Amino acid sequence: MSNNNGNSGPPPAPKSQPPVRILPTKVARIYSLAHPAAVLLGFAVRFPNLVHDPISEMLNAIPFLAASQVVFTIICLPPAGGSLEAAGSGSSSSTSSGFSSGSSNIILRPGRPARRKGGSGGSGAAGAGVGGGFMGGLGGKVIPSILSLILTALLATPVFAILLVLFGAPFTTHHAQTALCAAHMALLTAVPLVYVHGVDGTVWKEVWGASRPADAVWGAALGTCVGAWLGAVPIPLDWDRPWQAWPITILTGAYLGFATGTLLGRSRWLFGKRLRFTDEADTVENKKTE
Amino acid sequence: MVLENKSTCDVLPFSDTGAKKVDGCWHKKSFDKAVVLIIDALRYDFTVPVKPTVDVGSDPLFYNNIPVLYETAVNTPENAFLLPFIADPPTTTLQRLKGLTTGTLPTFVDAGSNFAGTAIDEDNIVAQLRAAGKTLVQLGDNTWQSLFPDYFDANLTRPYDSFNVWDLHTVDNGVTEHLLPLLHPANSTKWDVVFGHYLGVDHAGHRYGPNHPAMAAKLQQMDRLIRDVIAKLDDKTLLVVMGDHGMDAKGDHGGESDDEVNAALWMYSKKGVFGRTSADTVKPPAQASDRFVPQVDLVPTLSLLLGIPIPFNNLGSPIEEAFVGPNGNNWKNLVTVNRLASAQIKRYQEEYAKVRGAEDGNSLQSIELWDAAENDWQNIPWVGKSNPSTLRPVYDAYKQYQRKTLQVCRGLWANFDGWSMAQGIAVLFAAIVLLVFYARGLRTEQTELTNALLAAVGPGAGLGATAGALAGLLGVVAGSLVEVSVLLAATGSILSASWTMFSVPKQIKLPLPKTLWGWLAVIFTVAQSVGFASNSYTIWEDEILLFFLSTFGVLAGVSSMRQKLTADRVLGVYHSVLFVILGRVAAMSRLCREEQMPFCRSTYYSSATSSTSAPWQLVIPLILALVLPTVVKSFYAGSKSYEGAAPLWIGSAFRLGLFLVAVFWILEGADDGEWLPLSKETLKSSRVFLAQVVLALAFAAGTTAFIYSKPCINISVSQGNNEPETKAKPSSFSSMGRTTVTILGFGNVYGTRYFLLVVNFCLGIILMQKPMGQGAMGLLLWQILSLLEILDTNALVTSNSAIGPIVLGVLGSFYYFKTGHQATLSSIQWESAFIPLSSVQYPWSPILVILNTFGPQILTAIAVPLTVLWKRPLQLSDEATSTSKANNPAIRILSDTIQAASTYILYFATINLATTMWAGHLRRHLMLYRIFNPRFMMGAAVLAVVDIVLILFSVAGVRWSIVSVGDIFGW
Repeated sequence: MSNNNGNSGPPPAPKSQPPVRILPTKVARIYSLAHPAAVLLGFAVRFPNLVHDPISEMLNAIPFLAASQVVFTIICLPPAGGSLEAAGSGSSSSTSSGFSSGSSNIILRPGRPARRKGGSGGSGAAGAGVGGGFMGGLGGKVIPSILSLILTALLATPVFAILLVLFGAPFTTHHAQTALCAAHMALLTAVPLVYVHGVDGTVWKEVWGASRPADAVWGAALGTCVGAWLGAVPIPLDWDRPWQAWPITILTGAYLGFATGTLLGRSRWLFGKRLRFTDEADTVENKKTE
Repeated sequence: MVLENKSTCDVLPFSDTGAKKVDGCWHKKSFDKAVVLIIDALRYDFTVPVKPTVDVGSDPLFYNNIPVLYETAVNTPENAFLLPFIADPPTTTLQRLKGLTTGTLPTFVDAGSNFAGTAIDEDNIVAQLRAAGKTLVQLGDNTWQSLFPDYFDANLTRPYDSFNVWDLHTVDNGVTEHLLPLLHPANSTKWDVVFGHYLGVDHAGHRYGPNHPAMAAKLQQMDRLIRDVIAKLDDKTLLVVMGDHGMDAKGDHGGESDDEVNAALWMYSKKGVFGRTSADTVKPPAQASDRFVPQVDLVPTLSLLLGIPIPFNNLGSPIEEAFVGPNGNNWKNLVTVNRLASAQIKRYQEEYAKVRGAEDGNSLQSIELWDAAENDWQNIPWVGKSNPSTLRPVYDAYKQYQRKTLQVCRGLWANFDGWSMAQGIAVLFAAIVLLVFYARGLRTEQTELTNALLAAVGPGAGLGATAGALAGLLGVVAGSLVEVSVLLAATGSILSASWTMFSVPKQIKLPLPKTLWGWLAVIFTVAQSVGFASNSYTIWEDEILLFFLSTFGVLAGVSSMRQKLTADRVLGVYHSVLFVILGRVAAMSRLCREEQMPFCRSTYYSSATSSTSAPWQLVIPLILALVLPTVVKSFYAGSKSYEGAAPLWIGSAFRLGLFLVAVFWILEGADDGEWLPLSKETLKSSRVFLAQVVLALAFAAGTTAFIYSKPCINISVSQGNNEPETKAKPSSFSSMGRTTVTILGFGNVYGTRYFLLVVNFCLGIILMQKPMGQGAMGLLLWQILSLLEILDTNALVTSNSAIGPIVLGVLGSFYYFKTGHQATLSSIQWESAFIPLSSVQYPWSPILVILNTFGPQILTAIAVPLTVLWKRPLQLSDEATSTSKANNPAIRILSDTIQAASTYILYFATINLATTMWAGHLRRHLMLYRIFNPRFMMGAAVLAVVDIVLILFSVAGVRWSIVSVGDIFGW
């Protein structure tokens, strides 16, 4: 009753949010590059302490990481509030056109003139527009920040902790390590996602389906997860190094993945592209049809 | 390398003929008679009252229950000594007996022949004793009879069946019953040497583990026995008690870990001839790592004490304590016996070099040591009393030569035939390439190639075999006849199959994965294969498999979120979450291998030092009987397929079988814990009967029913209703206007019909597992069903994706570890052969052990066709009216099944190739025998089992399913 959808024709047109662009201010551009580097640098500097005492180091680092993530989102990213206002009017008409324009679907949503201008070149006028809205927007930025922190703590951290255990983290011991590792991963992934997208159901469905178009925010989230996944590789090796202790390699992978994902996601080659699970052409062109 | 040469009394091992004969033979004998008692699996730490260094709260139950050995060695050192006695792996009894009687090193491959020993050809101490005219008596383990046929006195010898590890007492009581009368003075002239082989300690280890009251009782019984023997012993008789190997933390053995090789050796005589060379060595060592002697040392020691020649192949040294005299200063004797042993070793070495050709420069090094020792010997001033300061260096020099030679031989005899290894790897590799194209790179149906392939492969293999046989007969190539013809047969069949497939380029496509799922299948297989090059990834295979399974489950959930239909999305996410959670729950069942310590905690048995289930674990079979049929039913009900035979089969028969299994294990627990006021015999016979009923239900009745059963559908015809019934949701189609045919279970007609076979096998395999393993098998069945739903909701059934069979393969490997196994020889649960049988019966006993060991892989192999059958839409004949044969739905299904089965085989074949390659490449690795070799042997065994199961049962099962469906729907 369910498997006859393989040959249904046109791809669906989800009411999808477009990929997120970094705010077109000069500060935002510079800081958006500096932030992943700074996070990674901070991690590298504190690495010996992490190896020495993972629990307290991870615990102590949480406020700093949270603060730097919030600062990054406020400076560099458009808050969720704006999108919520515009969602009702704009999305349905615009996104369909966006999709019809083909593979280079780097289409900005109408109803958000400042960003569209920013995207089209960042002229002086656009900069002025954003700058003018900056003071007024601060209030609009605080609420998404707080929301993102709350959701990160209450939802994202438990989800990551459960995932870690499901992938084989100790179930009866090392609870503090697992929880703190989950908290770090949640801060790296969820804070920007919630800040930008709020609780927009369609976007989160895309997040769970890993079908967001690539941008800095989604790239960071995906990169963190993939990095953490790869971070498990050195754990079983019998090198007897102190850094092989749980969950140091996972965390290292997550941070590296975060930085890589942030930069790759907004890069020219990947921006706006989506992860594909199945080749649409392939499911039709399997051998049975011949 | 077996040398047929025998030592004789008349020929001394020295090249100089001038040496004088002593007492008719090589050395003056110390004893006329001997009682040699082997307490199977007597580990060294059982015998010394030294507490384990690791504090485990209370003393382990095996601790200090056989104190007689230590007491006598400490109190009367001139009467007894006790030493650690290190076995050469493999630590299985047959190999140990060969080592203990010939004094040589075993080769590893022998382990497989533990069940079927053949007579020893080499020179050995039993043959030497016989040649010296001694009357030999053997009591206990009947392995001796197959190794030494006709050597023992037929009237006094009492062999006992050795494989029934659930029976702790029959052998032991039998040995004691016949041993003690022999020691009576009236019988003393009837025999010269008694070999008594006790098995109770070994069986207690296998069945309960060392830390169990049964082990304590067994050791105490041995203690009393030894005291009884001592009491009856006369002055002329030597008493030897030894273990042939040790046991690991849960009582099993076979491998190379310290606990498995650390046995104990104790010698006793009333005459007081033993001594110690220094005050430090008066007490037996506290740890087995101190002052140990290798087990090959028994042969020269016993030979010289009894005044017979040292067997020709011996590599051991005379044990110091036995020859140094009660005052510890008879250096002259020590030097003499060591010169004899060294000379024998040198003679053997020369003969060996002659046969092998002088290819090994290694042996020359030890010859230099011999020359040095001989030189020292010549320079000893033979006047006056024996002087330690001049004699000791000579003794040390001989000893050094002996040990060096032993070490050289250890290295030398791990002799690898690189050419054969290369041939094997090449054949495996070529076969896998062929399989890759056959499974994933064909544009046509697999079935269309069948005739052509068979027509090509048959003659190809035949031609190869004949050519090989001819080449072998004519002596064109080196190597054995069989090897050459098998190699050429394999080459011939691969070449001809390749020709059939590749000669038509348009039917071949590049077998590169095109979807994430395809890549995932490749990554799982290749990553694991590469990982086997590292001992760490081999050790932690179970955790890695969980990691892969969770990865698949999470990605399946993510993919399900992308599905367009809400039903697909919800079901897909639900089953993905379920899949991951079930896997994680199953991961709680662990049996750690030694190398995983201390990062692993065993939960499979009641404790880490036990091989019995905890009482609470007996609840698991009961829960299974209650829950598992209901779980299966829920998956059937999802497509309204709980119709036809399904309620009777799943709801009644399966549940009844599971319930009987639960009763079986409760009786078993009652036997162990003595809860029920029933005799052991009653419990055992009723248990065996129950197990046989379950097997009959699962395999005899189940298979018959499977062949004749109708599909799980319900067809009802109703009149007078023009509207198609909305109630019959899966499918209802009306014909002729007035008649409505309602078919329930239409949506999954192939899958539910075939799944009945999986249920049968699941029941049979669950019976063969310990309670914890039964829980794991239940979770496996659930996870398989969950996987099938995931495949369906993500449209992976119809696209013949590789991921389904590969994940099944990963599941099979994963649950191998969750049913209390590891890639080690000692984790084989031999006792499972006695679940439905009370004695060893061929061929059933090996099959039962295979069902226990590879049960998970067998079950997933049976489930493989479901990856293309589950909820496969039914194609009716009128839809396939075209003349092309390929459009026959039955042929298509068979073709898809073959593709899935080949993919599944591909997973295990790749792992087999990888483990073979790594074991070959790392053949000088320190961990070869501990880690790489067992994994390689397991990989090959799994591949063979999986091949047979797929061909015999899975494909045949699909055939019966299709026929049964075809009967109803008419094509």
